[in-house]
Amino acid sequence: MRTITYAEGIKEALEEEMRRDPSVILYGEDVANFGGIFRITSGLKEQFGDERVFDTPISENAFVGAGVGAALTGLRPVVELQFADFLFTAGDEIVLKAGMWRYAHGGAYKVPMVVRCPSGAAGVGPEHGQCPEAFFMHAPGLRIVSPATPADAKGLLKSAIRDDNPVLYFEHKLLYATKGEVPDDPDYLVPLGKAAIRREGDALTLVALSAMVPKAMKVAERLAKEGHHIEVIDPRSLNPFDRPAIIESVKKTGKIVVAEESYKTLGVGAEIGAMLMEDALEFLDRPLRRVAIPDVPIPTAAVLEQFVIPNEEKIYAACRELLA
Amino acid sequence: MDKKLKLDIYKKIVLSRRLEERVAELIKAGKVGGFMHPGVGQEALQVAAIATLRPDDYLLYAHRGVAYWVARGIPIEKVLCDLAGREGGTNRGKGGVMRVVYPELGVLGESGTLGGCFPIAAGAGLSIKVKHEDKVVLCFFGDGTSNRGTFHESLNFCAVRKLPVVFLCENNGWAVSMPTERSTAVKDIADRRHGYAMPGKTIDGNDVEQVFDAITEAVKHARSGHGPSLVEAKTYRLWGHWIGDPDSYRSREEVEKHWRRDPLPVYERKLMDEKVLVESARAEIDADARAQIDRAMAFMEKQAFPRPETALEDLYA
Repeated sequence: MRTITYAEGIKEALEEEMRRDPSVILYGEDVANFGGIFRITSGLKEQFGDERVFDTPISENAFVGAGVGAALTGLRPVVELQFADFLFTAGDEIVLKAGMWRYAHGGAYKVPMVVRCPSGAAGVGPEHGQCPEAFFMHAPGLRIVSPATPADAKGLLKSAIRDDNPVLYFEHKLLYATKGEVPDDPDYLVPLGKAAIRREGDALTLVALSAMVPKAMKVAERLAKEGHHIEVIDPRSLNPFDRPAIIESVKKTGKIVVAEESYKTLGVGAEIGAMLMEDALEFLDRPLRRVAIPDVPIPTAAVLEQFVIPNEEKIYAACRELLA
Repeated sequence: MDKKLKLDIYKKIVLSRRLEERVAELIKAGKVGGFMHPGVGQEALQVAAIATLRPDDYLLYAHRGVAYWVARGIPIEKVLCDLAGREGGTNRGKGGVMRVVYPELGVLGESGTLGGCFPIAAGAGLSIKVKHEDKVVLCFFGDGTSNRGTFHESLNFCAVRKLPVVFLCENNGWAVSMPTERSTAVKDIADRRHGYAMPGKTIDGNDVEQVFDAITEAVKHARSGHGPSLVEAKTYRLWGHWIGDPDSYRSREEVEKHWRRDPLPVYERKLMDEKVLVESARAEIDADARAQIDRAMAFMEKQAFPRPETALEDLYA
């Protein structure tokens, strides 16, 4: 198998799906002539022409909403936001239009669109550095995926483009350059809604999402050297959310830590905690621990940012506490 | 406009008016829910504009009355079922009468938030362009809605990409209780077209022929690949914002003055003067509209309410 980067996985998915299906179009700010501020889409305009790959004015409401309108009328738009934070700029179009148009009209239309959302703290501060998946996990009608590896970056994006529902696709900025093995198969798809067990173990369940996954893997290695074999689960999708994968793991381990780059209150860990209270309380022998941002915006200076973003030390400390 | 087209528009205006009167009776009697914004006084422009479309064009109607659906040819019994929250309508009780939808006739549905229509219209225009079709999108909105940010973003977006969208503003002078002169810096909404370098004009929305001609021109412009237009039709909302609105914010003199310009009798007189319509035909058209509504009411009353658990359906494809 080949080794490519996460960014290359995203680009390959776009190229292959655009080649496969002429109804797929790609647009956003600076995606065509410049190739995107993260250079994911460079060369795609040249390959597919400027009707299918084009730059938009700075108008998140118009161009995200236009994605909904285009999806209603037979296209499969892939809309790039420069930063995931701009989901809030286009909040009406994301939550009320993409999420609710089909339902509000009794299923008369489908809304097959993908919104690409570069996420994650990277020295860019409060309005360019968030991982806002949890906000949208609350909204009915939106599929949400957040890949952590190059193979998932590619396979989940291909599945998202082929899906008949609106999908928010979160791509973490700090993962773009990470490398991993990715199959060649042009029909390599990772199904939405299926968690990946990144490492098996029975001492503790560590749920980690997006850029928390590589950190969680290092923590697991360190704990293994200390004699604790923990299980690392990467949900990959938050809607559909693979609840059984987490519950099954907790039945085995009795302990769970959730590491996420969201704000702690009502984050992904809060939903997991509530789910375990409802469906798996009897299997928990220690309280849930959440490693998340302590409910402040993400500061810009590196020393402040590193203080609030979950790191290996914090994840390790939470695991050690439960393993004690 | 030939005689047949004039009579067809007239019939649809009559049917819309009679239907809305019936809907108001139902709401006032508490027989159906009350989330209906009447369009009495604005039917002429709604029907005349929609008469310019082909069946495969796209329509985004606004929230003002039933005439859009009547004009597009959506069976009125389906509209009544949506109003009543019963089976047999167009949206299975999910969206009520504000979300009438009809894919077979390009009726895309309605945004619940005002101004949500503009980006959707732009997207439908984008589809047409990418697929090299010669369809157009007709997007209705009110004067108040033209103050939303989505108006600016979407008109600019459509203009730079030359998308086949006709933006039609129904300026009825009021956004609920807020008169246009207090909410809007320009006197004529169509003046805003200069900000987007697109053609357009301000017309009398109570004059069927002016509306038909202006929208025909804008549709032709869009269909031939020249991009969007912004047309403003001045009109007046003769009833309240919703059925039951105390309407305490407008003077009776003002409303009375506009009743004298009610487009239904105005158009009726015009067609009679032109000998397109005679008294016997007028009475027949009115009786026929009432009979259609009676049949639609009977159909609606026979429909079941949706099974409660279907509330969980229709979210994901």
